[in-house]
Amino acid sequence: MSRAGARILLGRLAPLLGLVILCVVLSLSSPHFLTADNLVNVLRQSSVNALLALGQLVVIITAGIDLSIGSILGLSSVVLAMQLRAGVPPLVAVLGTLVLGALVGLLNGVLLTRLKLPHPFISTLGTMNVARGAAMILAAGVPISGLPAGFRVPFNGDLFGIPAAVIVVAVAGLIVHLLLERTVYGRDLFAIGGNREAARLAGVPVSSRLELAYLVSGLMAAVASLVLAARMNSGFPLAGTGAELDAIAAVIIGGASFFGGVGTVSGTLIGALFIGLLRNGLNLLDVSAYWQMIVIGVVIVAAVVIDVLRARQGD
Amino acid sequence: MQPLLEATGITKAFSGQLALSNVSVSFAAGEGHAVAGENGAGKSTLMSVVAGILKADAGEVRLDGVALPPGDVVEAQRRGIGLVPQEPQGAPTLTVAENISLGETPAGMSLLRVIDRGRLNEIATNALKLAGVDIRIDAPFGSLRLADQQLVLIARALHRGSRVLILDEPTSSLSTREVERLYEVVARMKASGRAVIAISHRLEELRAMSERITVLRDGKHVLTRAFADVTNADVVRAMAGRDVTSAGAPQRAASEDVVLEVSGLGSARVNDVSFKVRRGEIVGLAGLLGAGRSRTLHAIFGSEKRTHGTVRMGSGGGAVEVKSVRDSLAYGMGLLPEDRRGQGLVLGQSVQTNVNLVLPKGGQRFGFLSRPVLLKTAKDAIRELAIKASGVTAKVATLSGGNQQKVVLARFLRADTKVLLLDEPTRGVDVGAKEEIHRHLEGMAARGLGLVMASSEIPELLRLCHRILIFREGRIVGEMTRAEATAEGIVALAAGVLA
Repeated sequence: MSRAGARILLGRLAPLLGLVILCVVLSLSSPHFLTADNLVNVLRQSSVNALLALGQLVVIITAGIDLSIGSILGLSSVVLAMQLRAGVPPLVAVLGTLVLGALVGLLNGVLLTRLKLPHPFISTLGTMNVARGAAMILAAGVPISGLPAGFRVPFNGDLFGIPAAVIVVAVAGLIVHLLLERTVYGRDLFAIGGNREAARLAGVPVSSRLELAYLVSGLMAAVASLVLAARMNSGFPLAGTGAELDAIAAVIIGGASFFGGVGTVSGTLIGALFIGLLRNGLNLLDVSAYWQMIVIGVVIVAAVVIDVLRARQGD
Repeated sequence: MQPLLEATGITKAFSGQLALSNVSVSFAAGEGHAVAGENGAGKSTLMSVVAGILKADAGEVRLDGVALPPGDVVEAQRRGIGLVPQEPQGAPTLTVAENISLGETPAGMSLLRVIDRGRLNEIATNALKLAGVDIRIDAPFGSLRLADQQLVLIARALHRGSRVLILDEPTSSLSTREVERLYEVVARMKASGRAVIAISHRLEELRAMSERITVLRDGKHVLTRAFADVTNADVVRAMAGRDVTSAGAPQRAASEDVVLEVSGLGSARVNDVSFKVRRGEIVGLAGLLGAGRSRTLHAIFGSEKRTHGTVRMGSGGGAVEVKSVRDSLAYGMGLLPEDRRGQGLVLGQSVQTNVNLVLPKGGQRFGFLSRPVLLKTAKDAIRELAIKASGVTAKVATLSGGNQQKVVLARFLRADTKVLLLDEPTRGVDVGAKEEIHRHLEGMAARGLGLVMASSEIPELLRLCHRILIFREGRIVGEMTRAEATAEGIVALAAGVLA
């Protein structure tokens, strides 16, 4: 195998390796860690971050960033709860929520490509505030609780002992994986992230592809809101505050590059799981929430340092 | 016979400066056509217009007698014009096969656009066969050597039905064997009735690929001839143009005191460069784009990592070694960078801030800026260099190119400056301001500074410099005193041909 090939393989395997090491360490340090109940619990807790991260992955592959997904999650959960409380059938409410998330995501893309805002940091920072504000106004600042069972059971129940949330993640992950690896859209997104000018000159419709990427990101945030609302039995305008940062962390820990052009669904899911396991393990070990923040911060920086070192080697 | 591709009356200006002025050239099917000229002669601009990357201000491009929509690169490609840029552009993390099909990836008919892997690989295999090269189609594009990346892009252009292939500096990063392979590919393309346009400084390589040559100079068409009818010396003369007379002789000869001594300097792109600069001397660095002039200046200044050699300032017992940017500034060496907007100025800030970016003596006390000193320095600069600005608080972004350059220059108008390194000091500056900057540089030399100046404009070097060092591929390949130097001699040495 060529050295470049070996490096790419190592890049792919590094997140998995990190996950395995973390599991071994946690199993050795706490007897409660390696139990079926606890692990299923971790999967369930990681599901919202995993969904957000899947959307973020699509954007980061284009060398972009989406800061608005936490706010889209909050807004979606409020709109979902309002619909359900108003008696809208669950299926219609769910579809309506997904359309809303996709539209806000599309707005991010359009701001970036048609209004030529200088960087997605700006456009999505704007949307982040607008969506959060809209959620607060709609919900008058308080949670909207008491959602019908017809909605909660499909999204918060179990299927053969597997939490519904985990199944949602698996389906969404498969779809995003197919989008990225098997369709023209996905290949074009990798090309844009790797070398935008080359993609343009080769005839890739850069603007509409970028719009698609942000649309997917918004859509995934709406999907995440379904899972969260079902678990909390409420729509909560502050839901997902700061969640975009955990999602970015999951994508980067999962081996995607901030420079664009690199990233996988499997790595991202591993990254989300890594963060979930780390939190869970630190809880089991009775590490205070404040120290947990420090540990997670160090892990994120370490992951980015690895990314930078990899990029430098690639020169 | 109707030419395959015809560019007529192409004119293009960038912010008021004419890059191309009424240039007309035609290219025949099956012909290799070289386009030559000095840096800034307009070669790349012309090719960008032909390929639809740039929109010309006037003139049109016709393929088979049909006008191409100006400034539409995708349409130009579709009609059969392929451009392979100097730096191969591809998506680094996609495979060779994916890059060949990029922008028109074969897919199922449904909205889902599922990629047809079989077709994708078949297209890639065929395209590479068309170019006659053997490269693994599943290798990531970014892992390929530059030469192979270039061939992949050539293959892509051929696969897309390019009948005109434009190669911009195709050999600049290739080894001898890779160049031979490129010749074979070019020969096959010509045999199949395509036109190949090659831009390069390297005359021998152009000769190997082309039957005709067009020379541009200062954005104007100089000649188009059968290559067999012209010698390399003819081409060099056409590129360099009129005999440049040394207008103003140096104010006075340099003294013998050495102010800067560079010995055995080496870095990533610079090899074994040694020279001395004396008090009051202006030393010019000539060479083609990428010959290592800028790199040398940065290596001297300490802003580019050195691998070999030493840089010393002063002479005899008082000499000090310069190892870093801090040393350079402390001992009185300044660098006027090439990209003044990117590296020289804080555009949104005032003239005063920019002049004092390197703090003058007494500019700070206990870490606090001394406003009166800064104000005086800025006012002095405006007066001395005749900077046209509404005042010291004017934002430099609002100044003209020439006045911006004077602001950068003002930083070094200080008693403690002993050596000044200048990288393209008059690029993008209008003629009047250029004269002024030249006078200031001569004035600085007359006051005893040592100046090292890299410039792509040979007339400028001939006018100002006491000595000119000619660079090629990171090395000094020749030295001429002002008396010996001619434009032709410099171009010939820089391009590596005997005039």
